[in-house]
Amino acid sequence: MSSSPSDWEVVIGLEVHVQLHTRAKVFASSPWGFGKEPNEQVDPVVLGLPGTLPVVNREAVEKSILFGLVVGSSVPEQCAWDRKNYFYPDNPKNYQLTQKDFPVVVGGQVEIELPGASRNVMGEHKFIRIHHAHLEEDVGKLSHAGSGSLVDYNRAGVPLLEIVTEPDLRSSAEAEAFLRSLVALLTQAGVADCDMEKGQLRCDCNVSIRRRGAEKLGTRTETKNLNSISSVRDTVIYETARQIRELEAGRSITQETRGWNAELSRGYVLRDKEDAHDYRYFPDPDIPTLRISRETVARLQKLVPENLYDRQRRYVEKFGLPFTAASVLVANRELAEWFEAAAAAHPANPQGIANLVTNDLLRDLAASGGAGAAPADEVLPGVSLASCPIKPAQLAGLVKLTDDGVISKQQAKEVFAEMFKTGQEAVTIVDAKGLRQNSDTGELEKIVQEVIADPAVAKSIAEYRAGNEKAINALKGPIMKRTQGKANPVLIDQLLRKFLG
Amino acid sequence: MAEGFDIDHLAKLARLNLTAEEKALYSSQLNQILGHFQTLAKADLPETIDLARVVSESALRSDEPGPVLGAEAVTRIAPASRDGQISVPRVVDDEA
Repeated sequence: MSSSPSDWEVVIGLEVHVQLHTRAKVFASSPWGFGKEPNEQVDPVVLGLPGTLPVVNREAVEKSILFGLVVGSSVPEQCAWDRKNYFYPDNPKNYQLTQKDFPVVVGGQVEIELPGASRNVMGEHKFIRIHHAHLEEDVGKLSHAGSGSLVDYNRAGVPLLEIVTEPDLRSSAEAEAFLRSLVALLTQAGVADCDMEKGQLRCDCNVSIRRRGAEKLGTRTETKNLNSISSVRDTVIYETARQIRELEAGRSITQETRGWNAELSRGYVLRDKEDAHDYRYFPDPDIPTLRISRETVARLQKLVPENLYDRQRRYVEKFGLPFTAASVLVANRELAEWFEAAAAAHPANPQGIANLVTNDLLRDLAASGGAGAAPADEVLPGVSLASCPIKPAQLAGLVKLTDDGVISKQQAKEVFAEMFKTGQEAVTIVDAKGLRQNSDTGELEKIVQEVIADPAVAKSIAEYRAGNEKAINALKGPIMKRTQGKANPVLIDQLLRKFLG
Repeated sequence: MAEGFDIDHLAKLARLNLTAEEKALYSSQLNQILGHFQTLAKADLPETIDLARVVSESALRSDEPGPVLGAEAVTRIAPASRDGQISVPRVVDDEA
């Protein structure tokens, strides 16, 4: 008995662990950061030494609430912390402080965008529900050397928000799209940096399959500790194929914890930590339940940025931008705000501005290193506009000069390059280089009349007079040539029509 | 299991090697403790969070980095260390 893969439906739920953007750890004042010497960012509270007491970092709580507001969750009146007990060397206290019954975020949803049929066509949008998110502490890092293992507790106690989805995802593409959206939401709100190279975002991926149309969920497996979006995508593809193979061979799926070998692109069964599932949770007696005031929620609500897809829709509908340009702009909040500042300075032509921003500006920023080559795995380029030599209003000025016919589109490219080099105003460069198109009617009239008198164009004139509108264009080339390209094309057209009657 | 718990399982979770006598003794003591909770569970109480343990946000700490111990002090309190890291018996959960 054989069936095609399309007879099966995959059901995916993700647990995404994100390190929050704070300076100190979540229950201790120890600083934290990537790339420090081992065990240099550890204090007695992190180690749970006798006589120490954890105190919750306000910033970590507020960043968590802000995430909740970003995904439209209801912020609970109270949240509380529990102890998750297990013995393992990555855990200095033999328990991890986490939130089991009263998490800081309950519910919410994340809008995702699937790839379109082609680059310039918008794909399908879906909403993925968030079950909850809880604020916990990260654990230490183990490395294996010879017969022993080494422990670095620098990462222990780093604020970690674990975001748990409902099993709403139905393909590897949806899982990938969800993570891209989530990263954009987290970074645009300043909740987290999500630098996957630095392990700031790690995922556990739950996968099960069922016959298409079936209600009941299949047995799921959990692949732990995936540290890139591509690993999540590959795990879903691998695990789906493996489960289909098992079931079609008449075997069953074992509920198990698995690991992923990114180098070999294959999954494997994890040797379970002994009885790891029996964590004996209980309320942490050191940390009181926290009441979250509505004043705090109202204050944080003001920090919620415009949702990137709301922004994308606005750019397409209000500014008339093509999908491609809109999607490039909204992927980065700084870039979007830069574009909007420019568009506000010259409201007549947002498309022209978007065109220069998404093509010329991004290209030159990338070439100058200002955009910081995004890690291969990252979708959203870490564009830094801080060092951009051109200011939004200056770019608007350039587009306005083009729209007013002062310079041609071709010349605008040249002026743009000069602006990027020198940071000067467009008009300054245009004047210094003598690029201003000739709008002196008297002089131009003379040239137009001379060109019309040239027998070489008599045929074109006859055709134009006979009703062939396009024939007039044949006259423009010689005029442009005689003015060294400085003549205003709009004016040339007007004069030609006047003289040719 | 009459007690509602498995003393062997609990001992394993707590990393304790118990003798048969100890198992009997602790089983009876745990049963007493569980008995107290059964009594409490029978009490008719409203389902609310313990308000005596609720604090406002003023009880939170500000996000100010403070002092650290330093790797030297951290590794000194561990039984074994190497290159600033704590050395433990090999724990492996990956594909070796």
